[in-house]
Amino acid sequence: MELSDWELVKKCQAGEVNAFQELVSRYHQKVFMVILGLLRNREDALEVAQETFFRAYRKINGFQGGSSFYTWIYRIAVNISIDRQRHQKRNPLDFRESMDGVLEAQNEVAKDPFVDVHDRELREQLTKAINDLTPEHKAVIVLRTIEGLSYKDIGEILGCSEGTVMSRLHYARKKLQDKLSDFL
Amino acid sequence: MNDCADIQELLGRWLDGELGPSESQAVRSHVDSCHECGEVRRRLGKLQLTLHSELANEAARIEFMPFWREVQRRINLKRPWYADLIDLVRDQVTAPRIAWSVPIAIVLVLAALSLDFYLPGWRFGGPRNNFASVVSIDAYGRDVALLREDETKTTVIWLYQNQEGDNEAGEENSNSGPAF
Repeated sequence: MELSDWELVKKCQAGEVNAFQELVSRYHQKVFMVILGLLRNREDALEVAQETFFRAYRKINGFQGGSSFYTWIYRIAVNISIDRQRHQKRNPLDFRESMDGVLEAQNEVAKDPFVDVHDRELREQLTKAINDLTPEHKAVIVLRTIEGLSYKDIGEILGCSEGTVMSRLHYARKKLQDKLSDFL
Repeated sequence: MNDCADIQELLGRWLDGELGPSESQAVRSHVDSCHECGEVRRRLGKLQLTLHSELANEAARIEFMPFWREVQRRINLKRPWYADLIDLVRDQVTAPRIAWSVPIAIVLVLAALSLDFYLPGWRFGGPRNNFASVVSIDAYGRDVALLREDETKTTVIWLYQNQEGDNEAGEENSNSGPAF
């Protein structure tokens, strides 16, 4: 029988590293998706995802189950990613390199013969449009898209109200639709 | 409610399942019969699908064991003593906390400075012994000086002729001031 997240957390708190490994295996892809959605750079996203789980392990004794484990782990991931993005904005060279990485990744996808040209162009434009959003707007749209999280959960992760989540989502979607109107 | 602009405002929340039953029903029936709103709904759906599939494709390429080994390496790594301190500060010092701490600090400083006004006996740095003030009382160089001694609660009023007022050249004398 599969253990629940909370049962695994309690085992971690008792010092069982294997229980933490199970939690990582459950969430590493989703956490990576959230971070990639925010940072738009595969290497950075991988590094931040590993840092997220490392920090979660160090703080696991302080996790009391007040929220679900995934809300908690996403909050750590989003905070590290937003910090990283702000650092990139303060260091434009780093940011440009990360953009180059995104474009290279897109070219790799383009080598796949099954990928439609129009869809590839849409993805490229989507990457650019998302990069133009603020970290807070990016975070709501990525969390909603990936996990289909409720506004309440997103608010918990980002430390804001449901109303704020709603207005940020509305703004972000409108911005993306405007910029991608020729491709959608 | 059936105006397209109103419906399009609600479309995102409707697709997210965040509307109540009556609003949901109103949006659904409008979207089913309105080509323009149906098109906006299609575009929102495609946007969501494209973003999700792009991220999911990248995530599917991650192998778990190398990922876990790197996490494990960090867990087992011996960290310098200050790393925990940096983590603690990073967790505690957040933008909202900084935003709140600035006005709170200003209020506390003002409160400390005005404490003397509300609590007359209270002093910064222990009792002050002497308080002196010199006021010019006319245009002929006559001044009045007040000397207050806190411990004995004695006030001396001294009326004297300021030599500087009589003679601009007598600067050295005037600098010495009244002989209290």
